[in-house]
Amino acid sequence: MKENNNRLGWLFASPYLIYSIVFFLIPLVWSFYLSITNWDLIAPDYDIVGFGNFAKALKSPGVHAAFWVTYKFMMIFVPLVVVMSLIVSILVHSLPRFKSLFLIGFFLPYLSSGVVSSLIVKGFLSYNSPINTALRKIGINIDWLGTSWSALLIVGLIMAWKFTGYYALILTSGLESIDHEVYEAAAIDGVTGRQRFWKITLPLLYPALYTTLILAFGVTFGIFTEVYQLTGGGPKFATNTWQMEIYSQAFKNLQAGYASAIALLASVATFISIFIIRKLLEKWGARNGWV
Amino acid sequence: MKKKILGLVALVLAFSVLAACGSKKESATTADGVTTIEFWAAANPTQQAFWEKMAKAYEQTNSKVKINVSVIKESPSSEASIQAAIAGGSAPTISENINRGFAAQLANSKALVPLDTLDGFNDIVTTRNMKNTIEPWKFADDHQYVLPIYSNAMLFGWRLDLLKELGYAEPPKTYSEALEANKKLKEKYPDKYFWAKADLADPTAWKRWFDFFMLYDAASGGNKFIEGSKFVGDEKAGVETLKFVDDLRKDKGILAQNVADPFETGTSLFIDLGPWTFTNWAEKFPDMKYNQNYTLSMPPVPDGIDPKESKTFADTKGLVIYASATKEQQQAAMDFIKWVYADAKNDAQWFDETKLPPARDDLTTNESFKAILDKNPELKPYAENVPNAIPPMDNPKYNDLQTFIGQEAWNKVVRGEIDPATGWANMKKAIEGELQ
Repeated sequence: MKENNNRLGWLFASPYLIYSIVFFLIPLVWSFYLSITNWDLIAPDYDIVGFGNFAKALKSPGVHAAFWVTYKFMMIFVPLVVVMSLIVSILVHSLPRFKSLFLIGFFLPYLSSGVVSSLIVKGFLSYNSPINTALRKIGINIDWLGTSWSALLIVGLIMAWKFTGYYALILTSGLESIDHEVYEAAAIDGVTGRQRFWKITLPLLYPALYTTLILAFGVTFGIFTEVYQLTGGGPKFATNTWQMEIYSQAFKNLQAGYASAIALLASVATFISIFIIRKLLEKWGARNGWV
Repeated sequence: MKKKILGLVALVLAFSVLAACGSKKESATTADGVTTIEFWAAANPTQQAFWEKMAKAYEQTNSKVKINVSVIKESPSSEASIQAAIAGGSAPTISENINRGFAAQLANSKALVPLDTLDGFNDIVTTRNMKNTIEPWKFADDHQYVLPIYSNAMLFGWRLDLLKELGYAEPPKTYSEALEANKKLKEKYPDKYFWAKADLADPTAWKRWFDFFMLYDAASGGNKFIEGSKFVGDEKAGVETLKFVDDLRKDKGILAQNVADPFETGTSLFIDLGPWTFTNWAEKFPDMKYNQNYTLSMPPVPDGIDPKESKTFADTKGLVIYASATKEQQQAAMDFIKWVYADAKNDAQWFDETKLPPARDDLTTNESFKAILDKNPELKPYAENVPNAIPPMDNPKYNDLQTFIGQEAWNKVVRGEIDPATGWANMKKAIEGELQ
């Protein structure tokens, strides 16, 4: 009986195992192998260079920038997207009808092409666009994509716009799962609107909020399209994300080995960061008695 | 159980290996002797249409060859698509849209066939009358890996209407004349700029072809900048080029911001222009008329240099044949190119449809092109200056090297963060470090 259960277990787990081996384990081993070579992706001959690529990456200004840009971007994107999606979800949740319709509306930016939205934004921010012309008339003349702080802010805003609907969907389902009787009981006890949010909604929404936060933090490590289209990683590396640096080294400079080393460093930075963030969030939830 | 798991892992690995083997190309020649070649054309509808027409016409004269013309995917870039295809074992037989620097990368990786080792190459050079044009394309190993198709002697466009308002009948030719024109422009129109475009502050390697190299080639008389793996840049010309941009910046003549169509809307007086622009203008800006509201010139030169000696950057791309193709495919591809370029009418058709000047020595003297140049007078200065255009460097590290020009010198000077001499010195140091 035990032997049969084991077989059945392995049978059900096998699709995931096969998927992980083919799409995770083999590429990981291959990537590690590449990272110790000087292969340019196409040459038939290449040499093993040991950990030289890692040493080079650790000294590279592009890699340093990628490391810090991720956290700077996190500071802009995560609070913005979480607050915006929370507002959207609360507003949608309070609607008497057509909730799904509004949610789909907010979800659409997530489905839209990053290339198209970036090009539209680029058009809006052009020096001679109506917006900038109007701003200059009141004395505001900013090179939006050519100034470090504003370029990062713009990318953060586009990403927040894109992901708000998606996270709002998760948060709305979290709100929907909160039993109305809890609110009714609170109302009988004379709970104010603010107390209702902080003492009832937020704790009960915590599992959905936790998922949203982890997803939002995860996004910051994988930004590429918007940065590639809008700034190319500039000005002066101000928007040079991990993915942008990996792309530049692999496909512009034809250094597949070096790019693999950067990709592995990016993975380590991502894994450690997400692990720490997860622990902090769990601590935050536990301290408040939400989990 | 352990054995079964190991068996499963082995099975997956075996499938992966088999799948990889499965991507290998089948024989390109069928039993009836028909050789199929894959031709990748640039992602430009007129270029694709031209090659499709040529392929069809050639197949009618040669039933033993089948040519499949398709477009190079430009996502994320045509170079990246070609690299990915080579890496994945699905490279075409032949492709166009290859610049000299990228060809150097490919040749360095043994991905290209030296064209001069194939029968018929010398015939093309002779019959197409391109001996002088192709000469600078020779690589350090003395082989020719690229057959240039077109050569755009990049020119500067000037708003003729603005120039006339400022009291000029023709564009300034020297740096002091250009700076003077900028001062007059700013006095009359403080919101207009001499040169406006965001690329000036962007370190992306290829962007230096259309600002730094255009001016530097003129200032240096066509100095090679990098020869083989040696930096041979002309310091005097380089510093003068950077100083010109610095002076323009100090006089508020530079706008390095994202500007939509600055030249067409009259935001800037001056812009770098390639002949591909005119097809776009015909649709989007039909009011742009040559010698009415805009004109063209070679790059301005430093004071003391004869403007007639001005050189410029050659935006030029060509055809390559890939080493991964079979011998039959390589030769069939060469025979196809030989057939195309044996008749100047085909080059004329190319010129007429794409507006890209064929890379030939006789563009202004051959009667085949006269009607096109008469019909499109804005293309004449491009045709006339083909001999004055300097092709890109052939160093496989061109991407890094040109990025240093931007990062260490050009972009910083444009932003006013560094003086021209220090910028040149920093750039030289970075380039020499990379070349070692």
